[in-house]
Amino acid sequence: MLKTEKVLHLKSSRGRKVRVVREHYVRERVPCCSALCQAGCANEDKVLPGDVTHYVVPDVAVVRDFLEVLEFRELRGIVFTQTACQAIQHSRGRRQYNRLRSLLKEPLHECVLFCNEFQQHTYCPRERDEPQEKWQTRCVYRAAVWYHEHLAGLMPVVMITEDPDAVAEYSSLSTGVYVISPQEYLQSFWPDVQAAQELYSSIAQALQERESEGQPREYPEHLPAEILEPGIKAGRYIQVSNGHCPSAPLEADCRERAAPSCENTVSTDILVWGMKHRNRAIHGDVVAVELLPCVDWRGRVTALTETEGDERTGEELQSPAIPTARVVGILQRTWRDYVVTFPPWEEVQSQSRNSQRILVTPWDRRIPKIHISTQRAEALQDHRVIVRLDSWESTSLYPNGHCVRVLGKAGELETEIQTILTENGIQVPPFSEAQLREMPVNSKENPWRVDPGQEVVRRDLRASHLVFSIDPQGCEDVDDALSVRMLPGGARLELGVHIADVTHFVRAGSLTDLEARSRATTYYLADRRYDMLPAVLSADLCSLLGGVDRYAMSVIWELDACSLAVRSVWFGRTLMRSSYQLCYEVAQSLLNEEPAEVPELSPLAEEDRRERLGELKQALAELTRVARHLRTQRDQGGALELEGLEVRAQLDADKNITALVPRVPLEIHETVAECMIYANHWVARKIQESFPQQALLRRHPPPRQEHFGPLTDSAKARGFHIDTRSNKALADSLDRAVDLHDPLVNRLLRVMATQAMSNALYFSTGSCPQEQYYHYGLALDRYTHFTSPIRRYADMVVHRLLMSAIESEGAAEPVETPANNKGLEETARHINGKNRAAQHAQKQSTELFQCLYFKDKDPLTDPRCVAEAVVYAIRANGLLVFIPRYGVKGAVYLRNRENQVVDVTGDGSCQWRPGSLQRFPDRICCVTVGGATHTFRLFDHITVRISVQVSRCHAGNLHLDVVSNRALEAPGPDRRPTGKSGTELVQEVVRWAEEASQQAEEHGTVSRFSKEEREYQQSKKPNLYCLLQEIRELALLDESNCQGPSLPSS
Amino acid sequence: MAGLELLSDQGYRLDGRKPSELRKVQARMGVFTQADGSAYIEQGNTKALAVVYGPHEVRGSRSKALHDRAVINCQYSMATFSTAERKRRPHGDRKSSEMSLHLKQTFEAAVLTSLYPRSQIDIFVKILQSDGGNYSACVNAATLAVIDAGIPMRDYVCACSAGFVENTAVVDLCHAEESGGGTVMSLALLPRGGQVALVQMDARLHQDHLDALMEAAMTACRSLGQVLDGVVRQHLQEVSVLTAE
Repeated sequence: MLKTEKVLHLKSSRGRKVRVVREHYVRERVPCCSALCQAGCANEDKVLPGDVTHYVVPDVAVVRDFLEVLEFRELRGIVFTQTACQAIQHSRGRRQYNRLRSLLKEPLHECVLFCNEFQQHTYCPRERDEPQEKWQTRCVYRAAVWYHEHLAGLMPVVMITEDPDAVAEYSSLSTGVYVISPQEYLQSFWPDVQAAQELYSSIAQALQERESEGQPREYPEHLPAEILEPGIKAGRYIQVSNGHCPSAPLEADCRERAAPSCENTVSTDILVWGMKHRNRAIHGDVVAVELLPCVDWRGRVTALTETEGDERTGEELQSPAIPTARVVGILQRTWRDYVVTFPPWEEVQSQSRNSQRILVTPWDRRIPKIHISTQRAEALQDHRVIVRLDSWESTSLYPNGHCVRVLGKAGELETEIQTILTENGIQVPPFSEAQLREMPVNSKENPWRVDPGQEVVRRDLRASHLVFSIDPQGCEDVDDALSVRMLPGGARLELGVHIADVTHFVRAGSLTDLEARSRATTYYLADRRYDMLPAVLSADLCSLLGGVDRYAMSVIWELDACSLAVRSVWFGRTLMRSSYQLCYEVAQSLLNEEPAEVPELSPLAEEDRRERLGELKQALAELTRVARHLRTQRDQGGALELEGLEVRAQLDADKNITALVPRVPLEIHETVAECMIYANHWVARKIQESFPQQALLRRHPPPRQEHFGPLTDSAKARGFHIDTRSNKALADSLDRAVDLHDPLVNRLLRVMATQAMSNALYFSTGSCPQEQYYHYGLALDRYTHFTSPIRRYADMVVHRLLMSAIESEGAAEPVETPANNKGLEETARHINGKNRAAQHAQKQSTELFQCLYFKDKDPLTDPRCVAEAVVYAIRANGLLVFIPRYGVKGAVYLRNRENQVVDVTGDGSCQWRPGSLQRFPDRICCVTVGGATHTFRLFDHITVRISVQVSRCHAGNLHLDVVSNRALEAPGPDRRPTGKSGTELVQEVVRWAEEASQQAEEHGTVSRFSKEEREYQQSKKPNLYCLLQEIRELALLDESNCQGPSLPSS
Repeated sequence: MAGLELLSDQGYRLDGRKPSELRKVQARMGVFTQADGSAYIEQGNTKALAVVYGPHEVRGSRSKALHDRAVINCQYSMATFSTAERKRRPHGDRKSSEMSLHLKQTFEAAVLTSLYPRSQIDIFVKILQSDGGNYSACVNAATLAVIDAGIPMRDYVCACSAGFVENTAVVDLCHAEESGGGTVMSLALLPRGGQVALVQMDARLHQDHLDALMEAAMTACRSLGQVLDGVVRQHLQEVSVLTAE
């Protein structure tokens, strides 16, 4: 019948009580997944390379306890046995097993799985009364021996095991197969992978600690899953995902995911208060909670708490009681890597008798302190270290963890940046040799040329079209260019959007593609950026630079010359040469008929130049006309004013540069953005029609009405009415809400409106009903990202989809689609997650720079520390204010720890006096004992002093003190031109870091961990040229990010 | 052991088979001499015994007799020791009567009943050990027994089960796979003409996957048919050698 030989083996295993007999088929041919295979095994996708010195086969116990060590990419040629995998699955559960599975799937990590139990010669039945561990070790050893023999002795095989008996028993049994302990293995085979050895010893120590524990119980035990699941179904417990607000460490705020028994399906918040009730749940876990009786319900603390976690129990500070619960069981742990700070050595010695077991504080305030066992506590004091959690027993007050990697000394710029990256789960190792090898070459000696084969298949626009790009000054990665011309006859107008053809260079599934997918986007931090693609592509071959031939993906519309209605549209690959690489300012002055210097034209003769200039001007004018038309069309549909969204992007990302002074928006920005939105929209339509089940689109769900509460309340305080029923109504009412005396009011209202918005998301069309495709912010029924493939992975996916959509048009039978719905949805989720991480990292890095900027300024004397602020929200004991000059939002306390309140004297300056506070919806009153009352209202302008609150373990934050209740006078000298101050801020901090590192070098006290520090740093050595270059780029990035093509990213 | 991994990333099932591989089949015909026909089959760990009596006159009430064809009477039962926990009631429960009905329908489609009007054919099947695919083992055993009894049939009836795990069709499920909670389809096929004698599926399955599942099950049935054919030929050879002497 079937070709494979099978021998029937009976495997009996005693389950609960019953005797189960299972068949077990073994076969001769099981793929060995090695490049050296002599027997011609059917090896698929991933094979072990032949150029390693040895293969290593880890034992079950090693895989179980030290998987993290094996995850180091430097360790090559690992063979996992099926025996070990199954043991993991049984003893450690799904999570660990999935981790192993993803490790095996990871194409960059050289390890394979060998199904030893299905191989005729490596399968060994368990003997009667043989202990499980012995049997497993025997199986693994048999597999190791088989490997050695199967590869005809070409490759020595090392088996690593923790069990000394096994080492003694097997080590001399056969030549070519070595059995040693993992420690010995790491030391003798990988002496240069220091990090792996350190990780090994820290895990080993953590394991040892755990064995020697036995303490009274601190928390109630979790209920087992058998009780939880029926309980959740019956409505006795509620399944929630646990996320607590960072400002109140004792509160956990849970959002109910499914409302099981309630009639109202609106999800509600449930409060879990205190460590005891939280019962070892950590931020992000999915837990089951049990509601407490109504009498125990409490309200959420609305006061602004000091970050040090002082407990406030005053009832008047709390909002009305909401359902309160306690955690009874944990359904799913979502532990990740955490960055922690080691305490100073003196503190360690004083606080505990056992100085090898210390309590470290995570950088993320929502995570409890972690117990670490290490012998290097003295060397690591005040260092930031990545740790992983191992367990949290009910007997221990804090979870146990172990060190993974040292980042560096707390407070240093490089350490802090690495901390931010790690906390956001961003990994940006330098591009590997293999990835760079895939790249085409473009050097002086060997310049890149257009492939003649491509010339045939692509539509050639080089001669026929006037193509130009408009970007910020000095931009390197030009991913879009435009063209517009009147077709012969004059009845039709042709508009073209040309996008860099990245997918031509990056094949799906190549190493570069995999790396780009895992990064998902280019990361912009305040002082640097981490590219998604290697520089040869992003800044050169893909970039549509002026005057050189480039490949592009184009969308070309034929429009009616008068009505501008679309007559036909063409998508496809093109070959183009950009004639002009304009910047926004030049383009705008050309448009305004002002004199402008176009660099491409300067060498030409006067007459020629005038003619060419006229041509260009006409194209720009035509383009503007089309864009205006498109904009009006969208406005009628209810598009939100992008300006508002843009402000939010600026503030959230803290692009304080443009947020300082209201920017002079150039019309050309909007023109370019409008063309890009239009291209994105048409591509979305095309791929959605071609692949109704598997197209990657971007949707922006309408916001929840209750989120508009703060906005409407604040607007009411100024007498404006905000209609939030639809995006059109919202846009109109925001346009009306303008205070003539104070332009900031409108901007703040827009900021609040954008805060109420939900995030736009990528999704696959197959997993979402069609009515949810709508993009609320842009008022388009379908939208996607197509125009920036150099810096977004989603655009690359869309490019591939578009290409196969075009191919399938001509072909008779359906062309194979690039991805199925499930895979695409997975990709979309991954990209969404990475985008969020990128945003957070950007925001946190800017905050870091703000702190570093204010750190060495004396708040009492330095005039730069005093700034004007606008009140935008009222809390029980303070105000939330916005400082336009620095683009900073923060809290101002009106009551200090001694229960004193702010008192305003006659000239507007403020002092602390005993008194009380009264809060109203739109104002807050400070009543001093003397009877004086002062009121702070929404949108009041006040003056604050900025100082830095330094925190050893966490990110520092800015502390604001109210100085005066009036606006800062004579702002003249402080007002700097746009774009300067933010750069200055970054510049200064970088210079400061530079000086510090120079000093350190001079004194010969280079940090011991400099190697690890540098490992993840892209710029190897901070020389001054690099720094200046980075700063220059930054200034451009800021603009490119808030203007131009990134507008749709809102 | 929540959620056994039915199909590993390497494409192996729990017991080491690939998705399209059958379990080992061993069969014998003519195990009893008293009955008109009998057969014993092992499909992996599932073991079944079938005996056939008839065609003979209709027993019991005459009214059941059909004037133009034979009545087929099937009875299915499971031995008390066939499962991991001892069964209380070997036959007559809901499941058994349903299975009897299915067997009856299957064989009414395959046996040339019109050759024996006003008569009755009895098929009794007993599961000795159950490890998934009971229905298909019964059908295959009964086919051999009917052939042993010399009753003419249109073709062999071959049955096989198939399931759907992680977007892959998996054939000839064992007990662990059957109880894994996925969809299980039982298919009885007349392999030469490709007619389906019975198809049965209890759980839900997306329509898109149905064709793939049917295709896998039919391929499995065809290869089972070859095995059964081999068994019959071998049996005939042995018998003819005996009679020649």
